[in-house]
Amino acid sequence: MPAILTKKDRKIIKDALWDSNPITFQVLGICSALAVTVQLKTALVMCAALTFVVAMSNTVISLLRNYIPSKIRIIIELTVISSLVICADQFLKAYMYDVSKQLSVFVGLIITNCIVMGRAEAYAMANPPFKSFLDGLGNGLGYSAVLILVAVFREILGSGTLLGLHVIPEFLYQHGYVNCGVMVLAPGAFFLLGAIIWVQRALSGYTEAN
Amino acid sequence: MQLKGNTYTFVFALIVCVICSFSLAAVSRSLKPRQELNFAMDIKKNILKAVGLQEPISPQATPHDILEIYNQKIRELVIDAQGNVVADMKPEMIKAGDAYYPLYVYQEGETVLAYAFPMVGHGLWSTLYGYLALEPDGVTIRGITYYKHGETPGLGAEIEKDWFQNNFKGKTIWDIKANELRPITVAKGPVSNSVQDEYKAGFYVDGISGATLTGKGVTEMIARELKKYDPYFSKIRKI
Repeated sequence: MPAILTKKDRKIIKDALWDSNPITFQVLGICSALAVTVQLKTALVMCAALTFVVAMSNTVISLLRNYIPSKIRIIIELTVISSLVICADQFLKAYMYDVSKQLSVFVGLIITNCIVMGRAEAYAMANPPFKSFLDGLGNGLGYSAVLILVAVFREILGSGTLLGLHVIPEFLYQHGYVNCGVMVLAPGAFFLLGAIIWVQRALSGYTEAN
Repeated sequence: MQLKGNTYTFVFALIVCVICSFSLAAVSRSLKPRQELNFAMDIKKNILKAVGLQEPISPQATPHDILEIYNQKIRELVIDAQGNVVADMKPEMIKAGDAYYPLYVYQEGETVLAYAFPMVGHGLWSTLYGYLALEPDGVTIRGITYYKHGETPGLGAEIEKDWFQNNFKGKTIWDIKANELRPITVAKGPVSNSVQDEYKAGFYVDGISGATLTGKGVTEMIARELKKYDPYFSKIRKI
């Protein structure tokens, strides 16, 4: 770890990645986790876009936090978030046209992703810019870690490929192996996500408060 | 100014909005040329896909390669409502509302292998954009593609999948018994469920379960576009 990150800073990232992971602990952002994880490639691009948006929006909102009138704070947060999302979407359309076509509305829907709004409201409004940036980055990466895990399983089991390359050897197909169709559909993502949340919560020792 | 005052709130909102809109305008403006290039490329790629190239484009082809293949093999024509080719006109010169239609001719050397034209129509949620290609006989479908739509993924959006598009290949749009144009109809679910007669079934393709209205849109659009181009095809039709 570089020296610019103090022990506290590292804890911010670690918390977001593991102890309060936005998907497994807070169970936020599930909609996009189901929609874009059929292939690893779309999931990776989605993760990059979301991480960018949540880290930047946290930073910007934290910079403004002492000036935002509390009456209109939600709408200001949303204005910042939507501007960043539109930037990300425009950028994808210019440089990764095929992927942006596949992701279609889901990039735009980052605006309504509870993780982004939730971090802005819960963290960035009360903490200084650099910490907020780290918190955003950590949450983005925490979301990405789960999405990538789901996407890897779904693509391998559902289509027999990874990043479009065949990974299931041909002789298995000749011996009657069939791709698991349910993994391509949304229920497949539900099953995987459930399993991942279970394993993660068992390992981190989290229990729901009564 | 007080942080709670109404004036402050309005001024703050105004400043944020102005900054956001200016930066978005700057981003959009600077990326526009690239986006338009991508969009134009995508259309060319779809025309090439619809006409069913003898050597399919490799997935690694760069935009430059695609452009080269396109320029080599596709001749762009414009026809009028009477089916005559309009000389000195290019598809991009057609204005909305004009009674001129673009036509893309696929040639290998001197031999014409396919005619492709754009289709536009309404699905369930959105406008569908695609291309339909006919064989040189003017009656057999060579290929169909959809490149832009906003239908439900997994349902209506299946129109962009190969299984759906491949069903059209080899179907004819000419009813020999009645000697008239008979566009393809997208059935409700598998064709065998609704149409028993074998001759009639030739004019149907399997529909998408759960996306009947998208299928209806596809049927209507094929019928309308074929009618538009019929004056031209009736001149070259070989039956």
